[in-house]
Amino acid sequence: MKGNNFLKKTFALGIALLLVLPVCLSFKASAGSSEKSDGVYENVDELAGKRIGVMTGTIHDRLVEKRLPTAQIVYFNTIADMLDALKAGKIDAMIRPQSGALFISYEEKSITWLDEHLTDADVSFAFPKTEDGAALCQSFSAYIRTLRESGELETLRGKWFGEDESVKTMIDISALPATNGTLRLAATGTQMPFNYVRDNAIVGFEIELAAHFCEMNGYALQIDQMNFDGVLASVQAEKCDFACACLAITEERKESVDFSESHFAESVVFVVLKNTAGQKDSFLDNVRASFEKTFIRENRWKLFLEGIGTTMLITVLSILFGTLLGFAVYMLCRNGNPVANALTRFFVWFVQGMPVVVLLMILYYIIFAKSSIDGTAVAVIGFTLVFGAAMFAMLRAGVGAVDKGQTEAAYALGYGNTRTFFRVILPQAIPHFLPSYKGQITSLIKATAVVGYIAVQDLTKMGDIVRGRTYEAFFPLIAVAVIYFLLAAILNFLVGRIELNVDPKRRKKENILKGVELHD
Amino acid sequence: MIELKHLKKQYENALPLKDVSVTINDGDVISVIGPSGTGKSTLIRCINLLERPTDGQIFLDGEEITAYGYDVRRARRKMGMVFQSFNLFGHLTVIENVMLAPMDLLEKSRQEAYDRGMELLRRVGVADKALNYPDELSGGQKQRVAIARTLAMDPEIILLDEPTSALDPTMVAEVQAVIRDLARSGKTMMIVTHEMNFARAISNRVFYMDQGGIYEDGTPEQIFDHPQKELTRRFIKKLKILELSIDSRDYDFIGAGAEIDRYCLQNDMSPKDKYRVRLVIEELVQQILLPRMEHPQIRVIVEYSTQEKTTAVTAAYGGERFDPRDTDNHLSLVTLKGASGEINYQYDAESDQANRIEIRVKAS
Repeated sequence: MKGNNFLKKTFALGIALLLVLPVCLSFKASAGSSEKSDGVYENVDELAGKRIGVMTGTIHDRLVEKRLPTAQIVYFNTIADMLDALKAGKIDAMIRPQSGALFISYEEKSITWLDEHLTDADVSFAFPKTEDGAALCQSFSAYIRTLRESGELETLRGKWFGEDESVKTMIDISALPATNGTLRLAATGTQMPFNYVRDNAIVGFEIELAAHFCEMNGYALQIDQMNFDGVLASVQAEKCDFACACLAITEERKESVDFSESHFAESVVFVVLKNTAGQKDSFLDNVRASFEKTFIRENRWKLFLEGIGTTMLITVLSILFGTLLGFAVYMLCRNGNPVANALTRFFVWFVQGMPVVVLLMILYYIIFAKSSIDGTAVAVIGFTLVFGAAMFAMLRAGVGAVDKGQTEAAYALGYGNTRTFFRVILPQAIPHFLPSYKGQITSLIKATAVVGYIAVQDLTKMGDIVRGRTYEAFFPLIAVAVIYFLLAAILNFLVGRIELNVDPKRRKKENILKGVELHD
Repeated sequence: MIELKHLKKQYENALPLKDVSVTINDGDVISVIGPSGTGKSTLIRCINLLERPTDGQIFLDGEEITAYGYDVRRARRKMGMVFQSFNLFGHLTVIENVMLAPMDLLEKSRQEAYDRGMELLRRVGVADKALNYPDELSGGQKQRVAIARTLAMDPEIILLDEPTSALDPTMVAEVQAVIRDLARSGKTMMIVTHEMNFARAISNRVFYMDQGGIYEDGTPEQIFDHPQKELTRRFIKKLKILELSIDSRDYDFIGAGAEIDRYCLQNDMSPKDKYRVRLVIEELVQQILLPRMEHPQIRVIVEYSTQEKTTAVTAAYGGERFDPRDTDNHLSLVTLKGASGEINYQYDAESDQANRIEIRVKAS
C-alpha cells in the first residue's frame, strides 16, 4: 500500500511538472534569449545557410533567395508568430519592412535590424481589375499625388511612424456618411503602423489615407480584416473595393490586381536579435506584464469577448444547422434511394476530403465571390456542411448499431416505416452516437479557428490581432487555448443535459408511468 | 382464415419455398416442423409479409394482402408475431413495451393500455417486472413479455417463430406453459418448433416441411405416429441414413467398413451396436450375396433411429429371386440371424433391384 501511494505521488508530481515546465521554458526563452551569444549577426553575409523567416504571400522569399541562395526559408502567417520564432531561436533572422521593424523594436527591445537593405519597394493600395476598380484606382492615385505635392503625405507619415501613440488620432470611420455609397476595404489589422487595431478600432497610416479619401469623396468606409494571404484573394474575388496591407508593387501582382500611386517607399531589412545583456525580470513580473499588455491595455479583453461571441455564434449555428442537415439527408437516404445515396456519398466525400480551410476559401472566394454574403455566414455554411457530413455518418453508424430485430418487431406490431424509425429505432440509436456527437462538437469548435482566412474575426484571429500589437506569444496563445477548453466544456455540458433527457433509460422511475392510475 | 396460393420465395442462392398452397382455418393451432433450412421460418415470415414472397398470393379473411397497394400494416395488426430472439424494445420498460403499440396504433389511452398491459403481464406471470428494462430479465421472462406485447394488440392470429430455441433448457417450460395456455384459448396459431412433444401436445395440425414446401400436412397423430411419406418418417424417427453401393466383386470392403465405423461414431452408437451392424453387413454382402453374383448391383442402406436407438439394414439387389435365408452358407446365416431381430424379404419383379431384404439389427 505504501509503495502504491508513493507511486501515485510521484506520478502526480510528474504530471504537474510536465504541465508547468513548458510555461517556465517559454518565459526562459523570451527573458533569457538576449543573453545568447549565437543568433546575433552583424551583417547579412553571416546569415548564409541560416534559417530566415518570411511572411507567406510576400515577395520577401524571392529577395532572400537572390541575396542568400543557401539560406533556409521558413514561412509564417503572422508577424507575431515569426517574432516569437526569432526570440525562441527557431529562426536566425526575419525579413520585415524597415518601418515594421521600427515598430516591433518599440515593443520588443531585444531586436534590431541590419543596415543592408534587401530592396526598396513601392507600397500602394490594390484594386480589382474591373471597370469600377480602375476608375476608383485612378481617382485614388490622383488623391495620393495631391497629398504628396502638398506635403501632407509626409506629415501623415511622420505622425504614424513616431513612437508616441497619443498623437496618432484620426477621424471616426463609422461616422462617414454614405453619400455616394460604401467602399469596402480589405486590411490585415496586424501591420503597424499601416493598419492595426488600437483601442479595439482599426487605425493606421493606410487606414487614415483611405478614410480621408472616403471623406472627401462622400463614401462610407467598411473595413474587413483578414489574414495577409486572404487580402489579395479578396481583391481578385471582388469581395472588396480596394485593399491595403503594406502591399509592395510587383510585376506578378500587377497581373491580377491594379495598384494605385505609391504612398510609401519601403525598404526591406533583416531583423535579428540584439547583442545586449537583457535585463532579467522575474517570472511573476513577466506574467503580470504580459497579462496587462494582453488584456488590460486598450481594453483588449473586449477583443477577446468579441472573438468568443463570433466563435460561439459560428459553432452553435453550425451545430444546429449541421444536425438538422445531417438528419434530413439521413432521412432521405434511409430507405436506400439510389439517387439520394449517390448524391450524399459525393457530398460527404467532397466535404470531408479536403481541409476545412480550403473548403471555406473555396466557398468564400469562388462560390460566393460575387454575392455580398459576409464571412461569418460563409463560415456557418461551411461548418454546417462539415458538421452535417459528420452527423450523417454518426446517425448511420448509430442506427446500424440497433438490432434489426427491433425493426421487425415494430413492423410485426403494425408500425409503418417512419413511425418505426421515430418510436423504436431512433431512441435506441441516440445513446449510441451521443458520445461521438460530443467529440464532434469539440472538434468543430477547434476547427472554427481557421475562419480568419475568410475575414471573420473569431477568437483565434482576435488573439492574432492582439499578438500583432504586443508581439507576445505566450499570453494570448495560452489565453486562447484556455478559452477554447472552456467553450468546449460548456457546449459538452449542455449536450450532456440533453443526453439525460433523450436517453430513455436514464428517466426517473416515477416519471415512466406518469398520468396512469396504478390501482395497486 | 388465411389462404396461401402458390407461394414462392426465392433468394439469390436458395429457394426455400417453391410452391406452397394451403388454407389455415380459424382456430387452427398449427405446428410447423422439419429439418433446418427447409423454409419453416420463411413461410411464417411470408405470412405477415416480413419477407415479401417472390410469387403467389396470400388472402387474409378473403382479402388479398399481397395485392399491389394493400396497406400491409392493416394485415400485420391482425397477426401478432413472437420472435426467436424476443426483440423487446430495449429502450422501454416491460410495461411500456406492452403499452406502446396499443397507444400508438389502436389509439388507446394510457390508462386503458396500462390496465390491459398489466392484465396480460399478470397472465404471463411477469407483472412484478413491469418497471424493469428487458436487459434485466431472463430469457424466459423476456419471451413471456414478448408474448404479452403481441397479445396487447388483440391479434386474430399469432405466429411464433421458434419461440423457445434461444432459451436455456431450464426456461423452455415456462414459455411453453404460456403458449399451451394460449393454444387452449382458441386463438389461431402457427408455431415453428423443434420440440416434437410440445408440438404434439398443443396442436391440432402439423406441417412437415421439406423439399421447398409443406411436404406432409396432417393431424399430430398422422404425422407423428403414422407418417405417410418417407422423409417425414425419417425425420420423426430421427433416422440417420448411410447408403453404400457395391458394384463389383472386388469393391473396397476395407473402405466400406471404415465408412460404417465413421457413421456409427457420428451417431454415438454403442460399440455393441456398431459390431452387430458391421457383422450383419459383412455376412449378408460379403459371405452370402457376393459369391453368387457375376456383376453385383447391391445397394445397402443403414438406418439408425436416434430416437429409438434401433438400427435397420436394408439391402436391395438385382438378379433373379433370391432370399438370403435360403443360402447354403449355413454358418454365415446362423451368424446373421444371431445378430438380428426381424427379417423381411420382398421380391418385386418390376423394379431394377428386384430383391429387397430388411434386417432389424438386434438392439443392445
